[in-house]
Amino acid sequence: MTATGPARGGTLAGTGSLVRFMLRRDRVKLPSWILGISAFWLYYTRLVPQAYPTQSDLDAIVSMMGGPAGRMWTGPTYFLDNMTYETFIPAAYGGYLILVIVLMSILVMVRHTRVEEQTGRAELVRASVVGRHAPLTAALVVALIANGVVAALVALMMIADPIFATAGSLLFAAGCFTTGLAFAGLTAVIVQVTEYSRTATSLAAGAGLGLAFLIKGLGDMGHEHGTLLSWFSPMAWPQQTAPFVLDRWWPLALSLAFAVVTAALGYALSARRDVGAGLVAPRAGKARGAWWLGTPIGLAWRLERRAIMWWALGLGLLGMAMGAFAERAVPGEMPEALLQVLGGAEDIAAGYLAYMGIFMATIVAIYAVLAMQGMRAEETGGRGEPVLSTAVSRWSWLGANVLVGAIGVVIIMAVAGAATGLGAASALGDNALIWDVTAAHLNHVPPVLVVLGAAALLFGLLPRATGAAWAVVAYGFIVGTFGALMDLPEVAFDLSPFEHAARMPLEEFELAPVVGLLAVAAALTVAGLVGFRRRDLDVT
Amino acid sequence: MTNVIETTGLVKDFGKVRALDGLDLSVATGEVHGFLGPNGAGKTTTIRVLLGLLHADAGKATLLGGDPWNDAVALHRRIAYVPGDVELWPNLTGGEAIDLLGRLRGGLDRARRDELVERFDLDPTKKGRTYSKGNRQKVALISALASDAELLLLDEPTAGLDPLMEAVFQEVIRAMKAEGRTVLLSSHILAQVEVLADRISIIRLGKVVESGTLRDLRHLTRTTFTVETTRPADAIAQLPGVFNYEFTDGQARFDVDAEHVGSVVEALATLGVRAITSRPPTLEQLLLRHYGDEMAVHNGERAEVAR
Repeated sequence: MTATGPARGGTLAGTGSLVRFMLRRDRVKLPSWILGISAFWLYYTRLVPQAYPTQSDLDAIVSMMGGPAGRMWTGPTYFLDNMTYETFIPAAYGGYLILVIVLMSILVMVRHTRVEEQTGRAELVRASVVGRHAPLTAALVVALIANGVVAALVALMMIADPIFATAGSLLFAAGCFTTGLAFAGLTAVIVQVTEYSRTATSLAAGAGLGLAFLIKGLGDMGHEHGTLLSWFSPMAWPQQTAPFVLDRWWPLALSLAFAVVTAALGYALSARRDVGAGLVAPRAGKARGAWWLGTPIGLAWRLERRAIMWWALGLGLLGMAMGAFAERAVPGEMPEALLQVLGGAEDIAAGYLAYMGIFMATIVAIYAVLAMQGMRAEETGGRGEPVLSTAVSRWSWLGANVLVGAIGVVIIMAVAGAATGLGAASALGDNALIWDVTAAHLNHVPPVLVVLGAAALLFGLLPRATGAAWAVVAYGFIVGTFGALMDLPEVAFDLSPFEHAARMPLEEFELAPVVGLLAVAAALTVAGLVGFRRRDLDVT
Repeated sequence: MTNVIETTGLVKDFGKVRALDGLDLSVATGEVHGFLGPNGAGKTTTIRVLLGLLHADAGKATLLGGDPWNDAVALHRRIAYVPGDVELWPNLTGGEAIDLLGRLRGGLDRARRDELVERFDLDPTKKGRTYSKGNRQKVALISALASDAELLLLDEPTAGLDPLMEAVFQEVIRAMKAEGRTVLLSSHILAQVEVLADRISIIRLGKVVESGTLRDLRHLTRTTFTVETTRPADAIAQLPGVFNYEFTDGQARFDVDAEHVGSVVEALATLGVRAITSRPPTLEQLLLRHYGDEMAVHNGERAEVAR
């Protein structure tokens, strides 16, 4: 026997154990995501044939889905020559399926890389027999497994469905898989840059996914098969395979190449930095706290202001693009169900802008949930303990965070509304729209506050389940986007907080729903405060 | 003299684990009270109950005459706390965190804050994420010590500090004591407790098993003797209250129970003592006495396994 040096390939040592460990930690989260995504897809593949039972129903959608507005939201319309359920469903709804899958990939990656480093757990892991690249590799493997399982389920469900041909089903599922991987790779890069996991999530979901979605939307608006601009978005590639129409596989090579190149870049960057540090070196800061940094509200603002700024900027840009698009929302031979979503045929531009308000509210609700999850991270991360052992009550700590979250919601909605209005005003040549659309967006602030209140309630009563507030957002999104198509009963709409406010500028402002929603939001928040006052602080 | 902290029969369960099991603790006004025990004995849980961060399942706790759970905010104005694991906001500087925590408590003495920053040699312009454990601890310490709190709850406050900073810490605590403030000092550093504490409570498995001044506690345990005698000293080993007798290099070494010291000294006198040293028990020995049986149990288990 001779003494051996460090084993070769040592930078990957321990990857297998880490993968098993991550899967074990995610034993509830990942299956929930995977089953939720599969159920979402199963639902839509079964729903459309029921919502549009005849070929003429289906053909009627073409005027809507086939226009630039439809393409912006769904993707290229390769199905136009041969409009069937098989060609239409993946094109119209596949983009959203992929969106959710990508979100899962991003969260998996951030959770197992940057969050671990930020909490210092990564240090403990890396100090044992674990190679330098093992944690990132393991996170990528877990993302690969999750995306693989989702894609396999999607493929199986479609193959089992007589509507879909096998070859196209496999291609479509492969597109889901490779796009999930592409964003896992992108996230592998982003987590190297910032040292704060919340910034990483916001960057990946906002700047990465949001920008990709925007570029694809703007690119696809230009032409029925997309334009050159579309090809700059990883979100466009799976749709450019045109499953069931052209069945071409080669665009997925772009996704795979993107995944490989970004992952490689992630490895390269991670080798250039220290554990726990970001690539952007922290600058020296102030030696003293600013005068306003001495109250729970001041602290909450200090922690949230950056996120609020980025959200406002991102949604402002999105709103500007979508507002400019109001011009193209011209009534045609739309199916009744779609007209319902946009509020009827009389003033389709106003209906479109009114729908934008609800859409933005649903997106800003994501911010509201993230803000409360950030609060939960403050608690479990041990930063709540020093604050609550000063003269700060439970009420004022949680209350301050809810208040700042609410202020953030108002700011983001106001900016998004003003930008959407600006875009619409410049496109339609009606400057009054700036104010109208801003007011319309602010009118949709109360439902977002209901989501914030629901998250606060969960934080107070069932802190481990704070993330369950996502369900309210998802439900509101599904009802708001597809509810009319699905022919849901009235009750289903009433249950969504987003469906109550008046659809300005199509309808007149109504005070009652605003007051009612604010009351619900306040009641939820107070219940959360009472619950938080009574429970133990979650400290380790 | 009144008690600043008074708990009777505190019980706290985390699921099936009983963290506090009828804990009685009393800390008098103006004293530095050492709170000793190994990891997991319940020190941090006790402090968190006293801060109203955790709700005790049974028993009663009084802090500065108030109820730690119901009067938390009012009490916290008079308390400064340094957690054992200090977590800071990654994007706030140390200076910002010091000021923030101080102001949340109700204000801090700016001159004193600057003096402490200087003495503890902290760079307050660095972001929280870049601080080592020791530096994070300094941030919490400075913020606590720059306040005018009547009561300081310190949970292993210097675990990450170097000996120089340890010395600064001890000076500051002595100065606080001189000002009449009360300190509950949970610590692993026995030398620190031995030097600073007026009274000590030893906690084990969620219960206080011993409480008193170091002097009181010493009476509860054994004194170590080393003697050289002209006549063989082996007979000493047979006396009541004598333990661990060894004879090497012409020297006898043994431990004597406090109440038998007199009779042993009398017996030694008849043996022709050439040299004698006696050493009072160290705090370490005191602790080991309480945890000794636990260690014996552990060793026993190991022996069982070995068999």
